[in-house]
Amino acid sequence: MAEVRIGVYVCHCGTNIAGTVDVEEVARYAKQLPSVVIARDYMFMCSDPGQALIKSDIKEFSLNRVVVASCSPRMHEPTFQRACQDAGLNPYLYEQANIREQCSWVHEGDEATQKAKALVEAAIRRVSHHEPLEIKEIPVNPNTLIIGGGIAGIQAALDIADSEHRVYLVEREPSIGGHMSQFDKTFPTLDCAACILTPKMTAVGQHPYIDLFTYSEVEEVSGYIGDFKVKIRKKARYVDEERCTGCGVCQEKCPWKTDSEFDIGLGKRKAIYFPFPQAVPMVPVIDREHCAYFLKGTCRACERFCEAKAINFEQTDQILELEVGAIIVATGYDLMDPTPITQYGYGRFDNVITSLQFERVVDCVGPTGGKILLKDGTQPKSIAIIHCVGSRDQNYHTYCSRVCCEYALKFSHLIKEEIPDADVYQMYIDMRCFGKGYEEFYDRLSHEGVNFIRGKVAKVTDEAVTDEERGRLVVIVEDTLLPGVIRVPVDMVILCAAIEPRSDAEEVAKLLKINRSIEGFFMERHPKLEPVSTPTEGIFIVGCCQGPKDIPDSVAQALGGASKVLSLISRGKVSLLAATAKVDEMRCHGCGRCEEICEFHAPKVINKNGVMVSEINEALCQGCGLCAVTCPAEAISIRHFTQEEIKSMVDVLTES
Amino acid sequence: MNGFNLSRSIRTRQLLQVRRMRKITEFEPRIIAFTCNWCAYSAADIAGISRFHYPANVRNIKVMCTGMIDPGYILRAFERGADGVLVAGCEIGDCHYISGNIKAKERVERLKKLLHILGLEDERLRLEWIDAGDGRKFADTIENMAGKLKKLGPSPFKKEVKS
Amino acid sequence: MTLEDIIKETKTYYCLECGKCSSLCPISRHNPSYSPRLMLEKALTGFEGDLINDQELFSCLTCYNCSLKCPADVDYPLFMQKVRTLAFAQGRYGVPADSGILQSFMRLMLNPAIEQRRLEWLSDEYRISEKGNILFFVGCAPYFEFAFEDFEAGALNIAKDSLKILNTLGIEPMVLADEKCCGHDLLWTGDVESFRKLAEHNARIIKESGAKKIIFSCPEGYRTFKFDYPHYVDLDCELQHITEFLAENMGKGMLDFKEVKKKVTYQDPCRLGRHLGVYEQPRKLIEAIPGIELIEMEHTRDESICCGTSAWTNCDAYSKQIRTERLLEAKATGAEMLITACPKCQIHFRCAMVSKGEEKGPDVEMDVMDIVNLVASALEDNGSE
Ligand SMILES: Cc1cc2nc3c(=O)[nH]c(=O)nc-3n(C[C@H](O)[C@H](O)[C@H](O)COP(=O)(O)OP(=O)(O)OC[C@H]3O[C@@H](n4cnc5c(N)ncnc54)[C@H](O)[C@@H]3O)c2cc1C
Ligand code: FES
Repeated sequence: MAEVRIGVYVCHCGTNIAGTVDVEEVARYAKQLPSVVIARDYMFMCSDPGQALIKSDIKEFSLNRVVVASCSPRMHEPTFQRACQDAGLNPYLYEQANIREQCSWVHEGDEATQKAKALVEAAIRRVSHHEPLEIKEIPVNPNTLIIGGGIAGIQAALDIADSEHRVYLVEREPSIGGHMSQFDKTFPTLDCAACILTPKMTAVGQHPYIDLFTYSEVEEVSGYIGDFKVKIRKKARYVDEERCTGCGVCQEKCPWKTDSEFDIGLGKRKAIYFPFPQAVPMVPVIDREHCAYFLKGTCRACERFCEAKAINFEQTDQILELEVGAIIVATGYDLMDPTPITQYGYGRFDNVITSLQFERVVDCVGPTGGKILLKDGTQPKSIAIIHCVGSRDQNYHTYCSRVCCEYALKFSHLIKEEIPDADVYQMYIDMRCFGKGYEEFYDRLSHEGVNFIRGKVAKVTDEAVTDEERGRLVVIVEDTLLPGVIRVPVDMVILCAAIEPRSDAEEVAKLLKINRSIEGFFMERHPKLEPVSTPTEGIFIVGCCQGPKDIPDSVAQALGGASKVLSLISRGKVSLLAATAKVDEMRCHGCGRCEEICEFHAPKVINKNGVMVSEINEALCQGCGLCAVTCPAEAISIRHFTQEEIKSMVDVLTES
Repeated sequence: MNGFNLSRSIRTRQLLQVRRMRKITEFEPRIIAFTCNWCAYSAADIAGISRFHYPANVRNIKVMCTGMIDPGYILRAFERGADGVLVAGCEIGDCHYISGNIKAKERVERLKKLLHILGLEDERLRLEWIDAGDGRKFADTIENMAGKLKKLGPSPFKKEVKS
Repeated sequence: MTLEDIIKETKTYYCLECGKCSSLCPISRHNPSYSPRLMLEKALTGFEGDLINDQELFSCLTCYNCSLKCPADVDYPLFMQKVRTLAFAQGRYGVPADSGILQSFMRLMLNPAIEQRRLEWLSDEYRISEKGNILFFVGCAPYFEFAFEDFEAGALNIAKDSLKILNTLGIEPMVLADEKCCGHDLLWTGDVESFRKLAEHNARIIKESGAKKIIFSCPEGYRTFKFDYPHYVDLDCELQHITEFLAENMGKGMLDFKEVKKKVTYQDPCRLGRHLGVYEQPRKLIEAIPGIELIEMEHTRDESICCGTSAWTNCDAYSKQIRTERLLEAKATGAEMLITACPKCQIHFRCAMVSKGEEKGPDVEMDVMDIVNLVASALEDNGSE
């Protein structure tokens, strides 16, 4: 290694430092330390002449290391690094001693000078160990993959595609739309869901920059930011998308019926079907499980009636390979199945339904044509809406599902609209109306004659004790505001079931190498400042897959995700962090402790000529150092924060 | 008036004298603080900006995350005679690298068990979560730790004590 | 001590440069660039600087594989120990495993001002005496217990079971609360000054205790007391490894083993085997347990393969390869369990089994147990309680 030649610059910062610390003495002290070629003190190091001093010294004295003792490196490190770089010195051969914020401003007299000397000496010792680092850049593929076509995925896709960059939108179901397509009205404005969603869905379907893959799933993801390789399985629909005109004759003529998933068991659909009338794409799917041809080998009614000759029973799954620079995950949520909460009788009583089922009931294109009806076809006279079913409950989910209070209010309005004399009960723990216009919405509904009962429902039963209760459902709850347990006989019970992580969230997380928080939703990079980024660079999470939220928040996140991706694309390249982990293969045991502990999936044990060694993916490494400390063989070190560097500082600072 | 001034200056002089004497006799503990770049180190900067004075016993070593702190660094500090070591990072849930602070906590706890067997006082190794903006907490933590270490006396591993 | 003195003391000048050492060396087998012969040559040709700065100086396992077979009787491990002393004086100490925290503890321990709390695990279950003839040397087990918490090295159980067994024999040994590390690792790191202090301390407190005999469950402590202490302190005590002591007492009918149906194999720890020549007693002990079948590995007794690291001066990829090689040999015997007689062997083998990556190396998973634990488990229920 070439001889280490250090230049040390002690800043007065006017009187900010020099008023307390004897800067000349510090410079004099630094001057006589090993490897120090020149040590100066100067009024304002960050000023242009100050920087020029460093630059000219680098040249004149052939300095190969620079230490500035001044303010916090959080303030001016980039400034001085740039000065070094301008003079041809690698910016990583620079070190700053913080003698203002952490010395002259908080200490006095001799002690301050003494400490300043120590800090400068430690910086000098450390800088001797610094090595030049290369800042690598990798190009960013301008295509984007979006997984999940709910409102969040749709919004993100449109925003990115509008900038004329390719988007691949992958949706598992036969149509995009997600949960929002199952709603009739949306709180707090009560505008019709279809009216605001359908135009967006159509726009996706027609957008020249969006390649839509419905009835498809992502099977494999490899690579890293800027350069992901993705495999997609496009499941066979048995309908030729190119030929199909979406006329719907096949659906009409198909003689086979089964429960509709879209209507959550409340209605029926055919074996060849569109999930709902506004589906995008307007291409039906044959459900093999219920199609007579696939089950028994005869029928083919759809084929006979299809004028476009679009039915193709021979179709097979297709595997598509795509290359993208960034991925947005928008897989949404599942509604919790309330069957395990046996005291509410879901699954046992016909007229106990979930909130999502009620959305279908009130939807004008739903199974009842928008009429609120009981199972037997009669109109309910009283309805109980039970809040927090499985949310805010230590036995199920501790978190709040965030949207139930509002949609429960929405429901009571819709009920009152259709059956003005119905008794509607809201059984809640707290009314949480935090969003813009939500409190006003609550206020408005409070005047519509809805009964608010503050209490968590203990039980829903059909055991009547009075005549009034006979043949009806009885909700048992303590009204905590008017103490006393009450029995409320009703005709229908709506359970506001919790919003849950998707049942396959774990597999999806593994596939993408992203993390999940304790409750199982995907985890963001930082809860406040990085709400849509993940620890894996280049992968973003938007909408309810990150946690329960309403449509406005889902859309806001979608826009956030789109802007993250667009900023990547518009720069066209990413600079990789230089101070990352490094493996010494001669020391590595290949034990995988690093692989296990890393949140960013940067280290990976591979078989290299028969020997197991860890390899760091520099595009993923964030330089946090967790792996280096975990390695028992001292095979991993962190550039710019090596053991020698830190230990050399420890040595100086404990002693002076 | 004059009398007041006189007595006051005498008192000041006496005080100064006492302080000077104390300086000779009173032991000043040395604290090595490993501070996370994103929070505790920045909190120390905020303490500076707010001019919250605290004892000059502390020497900060900036790391990118508490998860980067090797137990070997802490032991090295003790071996070299540090009277106390502070590990200061982001609140749980706020770590820039997700779980660095959780791992740091586990490591410090394990090290404490070992230091306990060795017979070192528990107070000499301290773990604190200090928010980036919380200059007050940084200053208070140092003040408090320096005070405790003064009471404890020099570390048994201090050079001078060694035989 | 100069390099010249070292060459004399270790009879290095006899070296025939035949290379037998290199062909016997477990490291050279995996890392062809490592050669004990070349190391000696550097010393003999006067390249002291090269020798001291050689990366590989701290790789040697000091396993005595070479020396035992050396036609010129050069004591290569001792040569290493002494040259490391020179290197240490210049601030070099290899790349210690776990960033050297154990060595740090050993150094911190030697400070006279500290009062350890190393016997907190000692419950009423174990009977010990304040005064007596026999001393049980606990060693660093209380530290290892927490240092290797993540893969349950079981070091403390060896100490506990040793006491249990001694109690069964009616012996209530002394254990010393201010016992310190024997100094083995620091000596082999080249830190003689710290070693001397530890040795002096231990010798003093053992003398004060009045012990006549010291029993070790750790071969490193035993070796250090037997061969290294005499050069630094004067301590007149009979020394025994617990397997020697038990083998001696087995005949007396006090060890009433119940049946343990198991196929096992036995690892000769370098210190116990090649350093101290204790090969038979552990085997005798294992075979005395009814139902046990002892199957020898391909390399056994004085040819046995080291666990891959000693004194934690280094633990690199080759250490792991040696360990893997040994574990595969153990598995090839068809034994269900690998028995060893050194707490560190167990730590190293267990560490080698940790495999947390997606991609796995060869399957080396196997039960490992210290001979003391095996004996104690065979005594269970038959004990005096
Ligand atoms: C009963 C009820 C009523 C509500 N009413 C309102 C309201 O009135 N106003 C309001 O603001 N909010 C309301 N919400 C909240 C609203 O549903 C959500 O905020 C919104 O739907 C979230 O959109 P999303 O795109 O994140 O998720 P989703 O709507 O769940 O969409 C996710 C999409 O991803 C697809 N997908 C999932 N996994 C995969 C995979 N592995 N591969 C490919 N595709 C996949 C799904 O098929 C789906 O199309 C209500 C919620 C409930 C339960
Ligand atoms: S980033 Fe501060 S502790 Fe991890």
